Amino acid sequence: MLKLLNVGLIAQGFVNGILFGTMYGIAAIGLSLIFGTMRIVFIAQGSVIVFFAYLCYWLYRLFGIDPYLSIIPIVLAALLLGIAFYYALFKEAAVLKDRISSLLIAVGLMFFLENFMMMAWTPNPRAVVTSYGFYNFSLFGINLTLTRFIGLLIAILATLGVFIFLKKTLIGTAVRAASEDIEASTLMGINPNRVNVVAFAMGIGLASIAGINIATTYSFDPVYGFDIAIKALIALTLGGIGTVHGALLGGILLGLIESYGTYFVGSAWAQAVCFMVFLLVLIFKPNGLFGGTSQES
Amino acid sequence: MKGVDVLYGDVQAVWDLSIHVDEGAIVALVGANGAGKTTLLKAISGIIRAKRGEILFSGKSLTKIRPQEVVDIGVSHVPEGRRLFSKLTVFENLRLGAYPPRARPLFEKSLERAYGLFPVLKERKNQTAGSLSGGEQQMLAIGRALMAQPHLLMLDEPSLGLSPIFVRTIFELIGTLNDQKVTILLVEQNIHQALKIAHQAYVLKTGRIAMSGRGNELLANPEVQKAYIGERWGKPR
Repeated sequence: MLKLLNVGLIAQGFVNGILFGTMYGIAAIGLSLIFGTMRIVFIAQGSVIVFFAYLCYWLYRLFGIDPYLSIIPIVLAALLLGIAFYYALFKEAAVLKDRISSLLIAVGLMFFLENFMMMAWTPNPRAVVTSYGFYNFSLFGINLTLTRFIGLLIAILATLGVFIFLKKTLIGTAVRAASEDIEASTLMGINPNRVNVVAFAMGIGLASIAGINIATTYSFDPVYGFDIAIKALIALTLGGIGTVHGALLGGILLGLIESYGTYFVGSAWAQAVCFMVFLLVLIFKPNGLFGGTSQES
Repeated sequence: MKGVDVLYGDVQAVWDLSIHVDEGAIVALVGANGAGKTTLLKAISGIIRAKRGEILFSGKSLTKIRPQEVVDIGVSHVPEGRRLFSKLTVFENLRLGAYPPRARPLFEKSLERAYGLFPVLKERKNQTAGSLSGGEQQMLAIGRALMAQPHLLMLDEPSLGLSPIFVRTIFELIGTLNDQKVTILLVEQNIHQALKIAHQAYVLKTGRIAMSGRGNELLANPEVQKAYIGERWGKPR
């Protein structure tokens, strides 16, 4: 046991946890935004993330577009896809405040995407292998993979972007207001469909960024999405629903738990540790560790 | 509004109800809990749909349009329990009050007016709405509704749960707003005060109009005194 307590390795685990955790974090922010206005757990989030990972892979393999260069078209496509998904699939149910139907549609979308990806790209794991993908550098004696480090920066920038959008723009403020009390927000003249579609498009946009991060750092297969969705949900619970920073911190915390869990008890048990922490937080701090204020009914 | 029926599922809360609000007047709706006062306001602002009947505002029908359009036409609703966005700052709450397209260009002017009426909101503009006291929250709720530059302001139980000092402030404010040509439709449990200030009043009972008349007439009506006010409040002290 003592040989495990190596300062260098513990520091390395810390950095890896944060790198991994920010990915859960931005997935969780997307879930939080969609939950905020539409009050459903968007269970297809993980599959959407993997779908964008495939899109990134595809653009690289077929057209040789560098994954980091493809961020702009992919995020734009994701925002449009979010708008299309909302109007095509969720609008009717959202207008009727029919959450059960919305949830079922989300589950259906998840299975559709999983099977679509299996047909389009086969169930075999894929990864974007670039010339710089294995480049490592050392910072304060800690080894960093370049792609993971860039992934961290992108995730932080995306979070900052969402934070500023919600804080500074009128429609962003309206999204926050609708998350708190949708009925009162309509009394202010806010169209519920407008805030729903903005939140939904942002959620899908964040999913595309998480997808690019996955494509460049890990290998993925069509059914990996469900795992990500569950992890994002745990991250959201840890952080507390309702705030952007809470979701990100929840993701980072989950990443750290997973990283140290793998380090101390092995990767199989690390999953058990994740779920145990999840249950403990649900029992003792159901509002999350960083959310602070309670979620209104 | 004419012949309006409102149902919650299968439960009818308002029966064939007709009221009229004169432009520039203060009209009070009073009555016991469950009489349908709040339901009536919700039907006007479009949160719930009237099953039958018609709701007209300056000749335009409000019956079929959505709540976000009703507020743009000029009818603002301060709901029961204030319903502020408690995690947002005072300023952000006011900013959202001016969200309707008609009110947006007037934002600066409306903000000045709200801060003028409630200087305390200016002092606390960067605090979250949830951190305000009950009275301050009610001021913010009214200020937020005024940001939409309404012609008709509907207030649901504005004095509920407030200290006597704030209750007086709120009623004085209703008078001030009315002097500024805002028509007021007021729902109140504080019947004595409401009837005193109202030009016209309706007494509701289980979803129907039991009585109507000028505010001070109803106040003097022995039946109203007995049923809703009680001896102690009925007689001038």
